[in-house]
Amino acid sequence: MSANSNRPLSPHLQVYRLPLLANLSILHRITGAALSIGALMIAWWLVAAALGEGPYNTAMNFARSPLGIFMMFGWSVALYYHLFNGIRHLIWDTGRGFKLKQAYMSGYVVLLLTALATAATWYEVYN
Amino acid sequence: MVQFTLPQNSKILPGRKIDAAGNASRKKTFRIYRWDPDTNENPRLDEYTIDLSKCGPMVLDAIIYIKDKIDSTLTFRRSCREGICGSCSMNIDGTNTLACTKAIHDCGDNTKITPLPHMAVVKDLVPDLKHVYKQYESIEPWMQNDDPVPENGRERLQTQADSEALNGADGHGPAGCILCFCCSTACPSYWWNSDKFLGPAVLLQAWRWIRDTRDKAKAKRLEKLKDPFSMYRCHTIMNCTKTCPKGLNPAQGIAEIKKLMVSGE
Repeated sequence: MSANSNRPLSPHLQVYRLPLLANLSILHRITGAALSIGALMIAWWLVAAALGEGPYNTAMNFARSPLGIFMMFGWSVALYYHLFNGIRHLIWDTGRGFKLKQAYMSGYVVLLLTALATAATWYEVYN
Repeated sequence: MVQFTLPQNSKILPGRKIDAAGNASRKKTFRIYRWDPDTNENPRLDEYTIDLSKCGPMVLDAIIYIKDKIDSTLTFRRSCREGICGSCSMNIDGTNTLACTKAIHDCGDNTKITPLPHMAVVKDLVPDLKHVYKQYESIEPWMQNDDPVPENGRERLQTQADSEALNGADGHGPAGCILCFCCSTACPSYWWNSDKFLGPAVLLQAWRWIRDTRDKAKAKRLEKLKDPFSMYRCHTIMNCTKTCPKGLNPAQGIAEIKKLMVSGE
């Protein structure tokens, strides 16, 4: 065994320069977690609607508040990113798209589609 | 277990600054991770400034120069100095690679060199590879075939296509792996789960043997990877493929195993 059991752990996140692909992967997980919280909020909204006008108005007032709109905007981004990146994962599951060039390209496509879909959605909301 | 920060004994302290370049016109500073098992001190980052006209073109040449001329206690692994032995794998400027194939002029101004990430350090740039070798052994990386040898007594033959699946048409197939473990130690999933997750290097070799048409242990090999950890901790982060100094594609190999798991062939 080791002469010195006090061996340090070499630096990892502290030094590793994460490539775009890794950051997209982390983003997939973060948006997934955000969507779970969003699902709870939708459940709250539905329950409020079932309870009657008072609770429903409370929920809608929150949704129309700047914080509510900010959160909904965040969830729309999360929803589209997670959806498109999920499709990217499905394509990977068929064994395709693993060349570095392809993986970067699909990542850029996901980002672009996310931006377009989010923009289209909020354009609809305000027009 | 996910732990984002380093344990207390692993926190890196500022180190010594040694300028051995004088007023050379081409100089460069390397910040190198140092840890001495014979002291109770924390690791530190020593700075060495050297005259580039006195050493070869690769990062390995620079650290050999530092060991020869400045500090003979600097410890690292190296052997072939041409990217085929896999000994001098380390983290250079934030990316795992081989010091012998990384050109100094491709590095930033203030190159930081640390051991392969998230490993127990034996000394300086030498990580303890015992565990990864054990994991490699666990996939039984040898030919398993009890069929009698061909009648002419010569080797078992493959088709050109089956051979290419292992070697790659461009030489970048799974058999090109030199076991430097740049990929495994670049994988966040391996950082957090190396106790049970085999990591990209070992899984690429698992695929290499599963794909070998001369091997007859495919079913057994697949069975061993079925649990939630051994292979399925791979989340296609792609750091493995991005960092491989030999241009191999571990992520693709793992995806091929996952496909076989589903199709059950």
